[in-house]
Amino acid sequence: MSDNEQIGIRIVRRIQSVIHANTAELNAFDRPIGDGDHGTNLDRGFTAVLAKIESQSDQSLAAVFKTTAMTLISTVGGAAGPLYGTAFLRISTAIPELDGDHPRQVAAALTAALGGVQARGKATTGEKTMVDALAPAVEVSNAAVEEGADTVLVLERAATAARTGMEATIPMRATKGRASYLGERSIGHQDPGATSCYLIIQAVADVVRDGSTST
Amino acid sequence: MAVALVIVSHSQQVADGVRDIAEQMAGDQVVIRAAGGAADGSLGTNAEAIARAITEADQGDGVLILVDLGSAVLSTETALEMLGLDADRKVQLSNAPLVEGAVVAAVTASTGQTLEEVASAALDAKDMTKVVR
Amino acid sequence: MEEAQFTITNSAGLHARPAAHFVRTAAGFESSVRVRNLSRDAEREADAKSILSVMTLGIEQGHIISITVDGPDEAAAIEALRALVEGNIDK
Ligand SMILES: Nc1ncnc2c1ncn2[C@@H]1O[C@H](COP(=O)(O)OP(=O)(O)OP(=O)(O)O)[C@@H](O)[C@H]1O
Ligand SMILES: [Mg+2]
Repeated sequence: MSDNEQIGIRIVRRIQSVIHANTAELNAFDRPIGDGDHGTNLDRGFTAVLAKIESQSDQSLAAVFKTTAMTLISTVGGAAGPLYGTAFLRISTAIPELDGDHPRQVAAALTAALGGVQARGKATTGEKTMVDALAPAVEVSNAAVEEGADTVLVLERAATAARTGMEATIPMRATKGRASYLGERSIGHQDPGATSCYLIIQAVADVVRDGSTST
Repeated sequence: MAVALVIVSHSQQVADGVRDIAEQMAGDQVVIRAAGGAADGSLGTNAEAIARAITEADQGDGVLILVDLGSAVLSTETALEMLGLDADRKVQLSNAPLVEGAVVAAVTASTGQTLEEVASAALDAKDMTKVVR
Repeated sequence: MEEAQFTITNSAGLHARPAAHFVRTAAGFESSVRVRNLSRDAEREADAKSILSVMTLGIEQGHIISITVDGPDEAAAIEALRALVEGNIDK
């Protein structure tokens, strides 16, 4: 079993533990502009994902992300289920196997994820959704690849861009999802989906960085 | 047969209840399936359960899907994609209000009208007269 | 074209289930079926084959309705609707 086959489950473990640790905080972000369940939804989803992946024999990245997608779709319960589910589904087909050019594949995976979220939710940037964290991460990662950055750096930059994008949702007025029902009153609150999106990208960056320093 | 209905809600009780109300109006001529709640029974929507309900409801004359709000739409669209039905005109996702739309759709379906006619009647249920003065 | 007037006797009027029965019965005929509630607003006409349309008339127990049928099976339609309204529509 190669390192590549292990990276999938390490990523899922880290995402699950980060989401689990931030469940209350994500719920708190969802309370003023949603129904207060974003953390609970994702914690339920990723906990189910991890259990499925621990018990499946095919640990290839494509298989791990495919299971992640299908499990999120059927267990999350909120908008984040179909959205992240479609994102992981697109990732699983975008990077069937890791080849030598990992930085480019990271950028391709992020690009595929954004394509999935937008195909499902039809949101563009500025609508106060997870797209506002994901889209800048895609842009920055592709630029970093062009500059010749290595995998760790591409992911670090993507995570930083996602965090900036997440913070930028605070003054936005929501025009998609449940928060859009609030109109003007959605202004002044950070979007929970953008927050979880940043946490997930940061989790992947941390796994890859830790993996590269320990070997 | 008749056009069938699928009721999607965040709450299983709401989905089941709307199905019951619509069934009472439509008699036993219209197949109505409910898909309510997240997989573990908490409030939420579940694309898998919705896909199952659509498959069970489908009698060949078309299926109209009525939803409550928020992720009910995303989950239903995901279900349609899972079923490979998104391009098929025989299944329609309605923007109608849930209770009023389901009642009007059920009665209209029970008169043997087409999916397009049932869908259009359900949409008009937005303006249902409940209090006549 | 044929017209007939019936008095609504069932306690619920033409709401919910009885209205659905009425609409289904009317829809079973080729003829057009128009209905008015003479006890409320004799000018307002509804399509008897549309549940939404029938609901706008607010037909209650004791109201007199007028049904205008036009088409090849108009006589049969009037008879079927009479049987329904004067029989036990609540069932
Ligand atoms: N159309 C969309 N496109 C992109 N992201 C969206 C869209 N709709 C909602 N979101 C994201 O989903 C997040 C909310 O996820 P959550 O799982 O809490 O769903 P929810 O709103 O509670 O769903 P539900 O409608 O079932 O209550 C939002 O913060 C936003 O980032
Ligand atoms: Mg929520």
